Amino acid sequence: MLSENIKEELIFMDLDVQTREEVFHILGGKLTELNYTKESFVPALKEREKVFPTGLDVNGVGVAIPHTDQNHVNATALALAVLKNPVEFHQMASNIEDHQMVPVRFIIMLAVSGANYMDFLQNAILLIQDQEVLKRIVNAKTKEEIMHIVKEKEN
Amino acid sequence: MKSYKILSACGTGVATSTVAANKCKTLLQARGIEKVDVIECKAIEIVGKASIIHPDCIIHTAEIPVNKLGGIKTFRALQFITGIGAEQLADEIADYLKSLDK
Repeated sequence: MLSENIKEELIFMDLDVQTREEVFHILGGKLTELNYTKESFVPALKEREKVFPTGLDVNGVGVAIPHTDQNHVNATALALAVLKNPVEFHQMASNIEDHQMVPVRFIIMLAVSGANYMDFLQNAILLIQDQEVLKRIVNAKTKEEIMHIVKEKEN
Repeated sequence: MKSYKILSACGTGVATSTVAANKCKTLLQARGIEKVDVIECKAIEIVGKASIIHPDCIIHTAEIPVNKLGGIKTFRALQFITGIGAEQLADEIADYLKSLDK
C-alpha cells in the first residue's frame, strides 16, 4: 500500500523554491538523510533529469516524477511536494534543447529499489492518472490532508 | 494466434517504462491483441536491444534516436503515464500491429 509508505516527514507543503535544483536538494536530501537513498542520489537525479526529463502536463496540472537508477537507492520510498509557485521542468521524452517546458506544481520523487517496487510505483502513478485526486492534492493545505487523499484513493 | 513484441524504453529501464508497458499490455489485450510481450529497456540501450529483439514497435517515455532504429515504428507514450489520451494511443498501436503482415 502506498499510503502505508508515505511518511509525513517526506511530504513538503507549500514549498517555496525557484529552481529544479532546489527541489532535488530538499526532497532528495531528506530521502538521503533518512537513509532511503545514498549520497550519490541527488547528483544522480540532477544528471538524469538533464538527459531524461520527467515533467508531465496532466491536463493543465504540471507534475514531475524525478527518479534515477536503483544503485543510488537503499530502500523504496517516495517524497511528495506541493510547490508554492510553479517550477519549470522539461517535458518527459523531449529533447532538453527543444525547451518544451512544463510549469510543475506537484512533485513525486521516487526512490525505487528491490523486487517489490512495482506495485508501489504503479500506485504512485495512479495518483496522477486520477485528475480529481490530483486537483485535490495540489489544493491541499496540510500533510494530513494529502495522506488522507492518498489513503482514500486506495480504498 | 499472432504474437507481438514491443520494446518499452525509459531513462532507467525500470520506472516509467514499466508503468507504460503494463498499461500498454492491458489496453492492447482489451483490443483483442492477447499475445503481446512488452520488454522494458533503458533508452541508451535501445538501438542494441532493438537489433537483437526485433520488436514490432517501440513505445518510449524518454527521448530515443528514432532515426537509428532501422525504421521500426515508434510511439511516444506519455499517455500511458498520465492516463490522458491512453485509450486513443492504444487504438493507434493496436491498429498498427493489426496492419502488420504477420
